[in-house]
Amino acid sequence: MKRKIIRVGSSRGVLLPREVTKAMNWEFGSQTELTVDEDMSQVILKTIKIDIPDDYNPEHLKQIERTLKNNFDVLGGLDD
Amino acid sequence: MTSEQRRQVKLLCYVHWILSKRFEVDSGVRDLYTLEEVVTMPGGGSLTCFSGAKLTNRKDLFAQIGWFVYYMLEGEPFNSKNKALTALMVIWCLENYKLEFDKEKVIEFINTVDTMRSGNSDISSWFANQCK
Repeated sequence: MKRKIIRVGSSRGVLLPREVTKAMNWEFGSQTELTVDEDMSQVILKTIKIDIPDDYNPEHLKQIERTLKNNFDVLGGLDD
Repeated sequence: MTSEQRRQVKLLCYVHWILSKRFEVDSGVRDLYTLEEVVTMPGGGSLTCFSGAKLTNRKDLFAQIGWFVYYMLEGEPFNSKNKALTALMVIWCLENYKLEFDKEKVIEFINTVDTMRSGNSDISSWFANQCK
């Protein structure tokens, strides 16, 4: 997709379309990292990944996430 | 707090963060002291069943679940989705222990239990009776 560079105060900026921010799960304040590749004339914008602390078992966390996914509807109905 | 209790606080914060993202609700801890209370059982104990420990004594397992449910619902340590987090962790735990239970009944119980009338031992007994 093509985007124009626009003026943002005294800087230049590119607006990110909603489908991009949604796909990347970016919200206001999300941390990203820009990498410039001058040889290829390209800029790469990446999510900064957060490492899980050593004392967590990633499989344990995945199991809990699966339980959430499997029970999404009923858990969503619990108000508090 | 012991290192295991701190680890469980971090685990609950992580799971709540996931929940709040999925349901697009307010994330964050409302009251850290209350959250610490959730994972601090008498005698320096903690909720090891939620961090993957395989308890061999069913009484200990249901005592931990009763404690967790009571203090989560009574204290509401997070800004949102306290009942959903409680139900999620309990369902995960019961499935992890491969116990038979009626999921709808468990969710209904968590949604309606009155912590003014039922203490942690009452809640513990309810789960012990419901799970095979």
